[in-house]
Amino acid sequence: MNILVPDSWLREYLKTKATPSQIKEYLSLCGPSVERITKDRVYEIEITSNRPDSMSIFGVAREAAAILPRFGIPAKLALQGVSLKGKESHQRKLKLTVKTDSKLNPRWTSVVFDDVNVGVSPKWLSEWLELSGIRSINNVIDVTNFLMRAFGQPAHVFDYDTISGHSMKLRASKKREKITTLDGKTHTLPGDDIVIEDGSGKLIDLCGIMGGKNSSVTDKTTRVILFLQTYDPSHIRKTSMMVSHRTEAASLFEKGLDTESIMPVFLKGVSMMQELTGGKIASAVTDMYPSPYKSNIVSVNLSKIVSYIGDITEAEIKKILEPLGFTVKKDLHVVVPSFRRDVTLDVDIIEEIARIYGYHNITSTLPKGELPMTIQNPMLFWEEETKIRLRDWGYTELLTYSMISEEQMDTFVLDKSKAYKISNPLSNEWLYMRPSLLPSVLSAVKQNLNIREDLKLFELSFVYELRQNDLPLEKPMLIVVWTGKKYPEAKGLAEALFDVFGIPFPEAIKEYGSIEILAGEITVLYLDFSRLVANAKPIKTYKPIPKYPPIVEDLAFVVPEQFEVGPLIALLKKAHPLVFHVSLLDVHGSMRTFHIEYQNSKKNLTNEYVTPIREKLIRLAEEKFGVTIKNP
Amino acid sequence: MAEEIISATNLISLLIQAQEEALELIKSGSKSSEELRLLILGAKSDIARLTKQIRLVSKEERQKVGPVVTQVKRSIEEALGQLPTRNVSKEWIDVTMSGIRPPQGHLHIVSQAIIEITRIFERIGFTRVRHPEVDWDWYAFESLNMPANHPARDEWETFFIESSLSFRPLSRNPSSRKTRIPGRAQDDNQHIVLTPHTSNGQVREMEKKNLPIRMINIAKCYRRQSDVSHVPMFHQFEGLYIDRSVSIGHLKGVLDYFVKQFFGPQRKSRIRPFHFQFTEPSFEVDITCGVCLGKGCKLCKSGWLELGGAGMVHPEVLKNGGIDPEKYSGFAFGWGIERTYMMKAGTQLDDIRLLYSNDIRFLEQF
Repeated sequence: MNILVPDSWLREYLKTKATPSQIKEYLSLCGPSVERITKDRVYEIEITSNRPDSMSIFGVAREAAAILPRFGIPAKLALQGVSLKGKESHQRKLKLTVKTDSKLNPRWTSVVFDDVNVGVSPKWLSEWLELSGIRSINNVIDVTNFLMRAFGQPAHVFDYDTISGHSMKLRASKKREKITTLDGKTHTLPGDDIVIEDGSGKLIDLCGIMGGKNSSVTDKTTRVILFLQTYDPSHIRKTSMMVSHRTEAASLFEKGLDTESIMPVFLKGVSMMQELTGGKIASAVTDMYPSPYKSNIVSVNLSKIVSYIGDITEAEIKKILEPLGFTVKKDLHVVVPSFRRDVTLDVDIIEEIARIYGYHNITSTLPKGELPMTIQNPMLFWEEETKIRLRDWGYTELLTYSMISEEQMDTFVLDKSKAYKISNPLSNEWLYMRPSLLPSVLSAVKQNLNIREDLKLFELSFVYELRQNDLPLEKPMLIVVWTGKKYPEAKGLAEALFDVFGIPFPEAIKEYGSIEILAGEITVLYLDFSRLVANAKPIKTYKPIPKYPPIVEDLAFVVPEQFEVGPLIALLKKAHPLVFHVSLLDVHGSMRTFHIEYQNSKKNLTNEYVTPIREKLIRLAEEKFGVTIKNP
Repeated sequence: MAEEIISATNLISLLIQAQEEALELIKSGSKSSEELRLLILGAKSDIARLTKQIRLVSKEERQKVGPVVTQVKRSIEEALGQLPTRNVSKEWIDVTMSGIRPPQGHLHIVSQAIIEITRIFERIGFTRVRHPEVDWDWYAFESLNMPANHPARDEWETFFIESSLSFRPLSRNPSSRKTRIPGRAQDDNQHIVLTPHTSNGQVREMEKKNLPIRMINIAKCYRRQSDVSHVPMFHQFEGLYIDRSVSIGHLKGVLDYFVKQFFGPQRKSRIRPFHFQFTEPSFEVDITCGVCLGKGCKLCKSGWLELGGAGMVHPEVLKNGGIDPEKYSGFAFGWGIERTYMMKAGTQLDDIRLLYSNDIRFLEQF
């Protein structure tokens, strides 16, 4: 959460000669990050969610007072306490009955004022509030916002006269109870929200989130209840999420506020009400706090601190921790201040020491420990290898989103009951975890067709296959697409890839995937990449280099219509042990020319020796495939 | 030619002189090695003529000359042998013609960055691993010290998977769940999430029971965001180091190493306080601006740019991974690949959505 801290307001609690840019630099290095300083000298500071104690001007001042002296700049925290003595003498004529639940509301403080004049705030107050991003409304509301911004403790005011029976009862809400908040919105409550009802049973406050409209302070109000409290954080969190009402107060309460800080802030509020609104205390002060805070002690081991940050002494540790409010006892038993409930473990203390000591003062060094014994994941090796090969063969890689739309699922006839569907999609375009790469890749092709007609693209990504009652199987698939009818290219690429993996090209590519020409204009090679990896045999077996030259010749056959050469080549290859290589050399009309190599590893072949083999090849081809030899 | 006796000393000095002249000629490079051989060692050469004169030296002195002749010939052969072989003839070429290029495809820049990052960490013993992208809530949040409804979860805009007939959140079946998710509470439902970060790999890696750990987990991540600096799907790389006595200094060392390798040797890194539920202490990592190198300029304001998060692994996370936090400690960091790549000086990429536009006019630039 970012808060706006006017420099002049900060210096109300922080006595230092540090310049704003020094404050920005040193706070950022050792404490909350100061994102920028505006031209009005307002710091924009990011406070992390674990530090509600710093989400205020005073909280930032406390950090600065601990940090600046580390950089040689004196700084002191200044806050004059307020007491009620001498101001409480007014008659206690106005009664307020309070009932609460200490589990939901660990501490309740309230008091009633009479003779309040609702009006404009003094200039200093409205200016500070406006600079820190809060709209000035009137002197009464501004006091509550002042307390929240100055000390990080939200406060609330009710119009005493709107509360039936002058009675307040804090309780958990029932399901479907309704309340209209200050901003005019009516919320139907989910149940188990912290609320306050008045004597007539009507809800007057959605606690920790926003006050009820029916009990709000208006221009006509003269009697005011000032009300400061803490709540069980998880209740506030739940309600604020359920009713989608993320007020600043809620974001403070849901992080857990310090019960011990309530009274000093309350007293400050009382004194401001008296000074700024003319209000007079008209009731007893109610302070319901049945289980007071017990301080927490965390023990840290010096050797553990040293292992995290390097050499440091106990004396230095004490000097670092005490300005932050910690008390360091013997043997590093550290008493945690009430406002630091985020500190519960030794490593939390180590963080405090290390950041104030200065991360910039810790020596940077590469780890020297033992190297782990690891084996590379073959899938990762092959993915990289394949992508690089494809790139070098002239293909360009796509990276499309893993999510596809319902329309895409339907168009490609993909089974929606077997797909993982996003329950809170950002857009209808991204609804299902894709069970196929086709829809997204084809849409990328379509989009690029306007730019160029000739495309060669690929993607190697997961598809998500259903596993009953389990996480999806994240299955890597390789898709390569060509525009146009490119069957030979697709098959050739597949053959080259199988070669890379050391897998003999299968007679039926079906085992691994498919080559298809879609809509007569896009050729798609789609392969189950995990299967390729599972069957990969990257180690090549050495075959002795032939000592004698082969005899090479071409045989041309006239073939019938729709003739498939594959089976004929397979037959010729198997026809004789000396037939070493057979390939299709040329296609011309009904003529197919084959390139044949004969090889004997033991001796030089002569033409006479090869003649009977050739005759056998021709005979077999003519008998089994109905082809006719062209050249004698 | 009159037969006369000549002195060995005289002949030797003539031979040496001939050798020097020959070497000089070879060095001048004016002739091809074939021409030189003929000229220097051929039948009509000085050296051949001088060699013949050995028989004019007195018998007693002849054995002094023999080794010199051998030596002279050898040094000349050596010098000739070192000459580059020249083209016999050069063909005229129109050098203004366009070349014929090999096929040129393009890897997506995310793949390029992944390869580069993997190599950088491999050199210091970090091995790339892979963990699920679609994972149980336990690994993505709970085991990282973020129970259900924890406010820290707000920082991740997480996508959830809908329950259906074929998939129900894990619930009242402790036996099946126990095997899948060790250590998690028995009584509440387990949702499936699209991992909003690669940190789900932390506890999963610890469960391999193979210490020490030096891992780099790179995977797709998903968040409910789409604007100039966010896309709903992106990539992260997550480093995890677990060993005895791991220090903040070690993390700084690894960050410095990475920053110098990936961004350039003149760039520096620093860590500042931050907060994550699954690390303690937690840090924000900055690098010096590529333009001003840390002095501060119009682009970066302070001289530093935010790179990402890091921290010392929280003891609760170690416990959830079955590691004793009293014996072991560690650090982790996890950043977006796209963002890290875009911060490389000179890429001038200003909109992350371009990376996922799948426009060939973009893809073919890299």
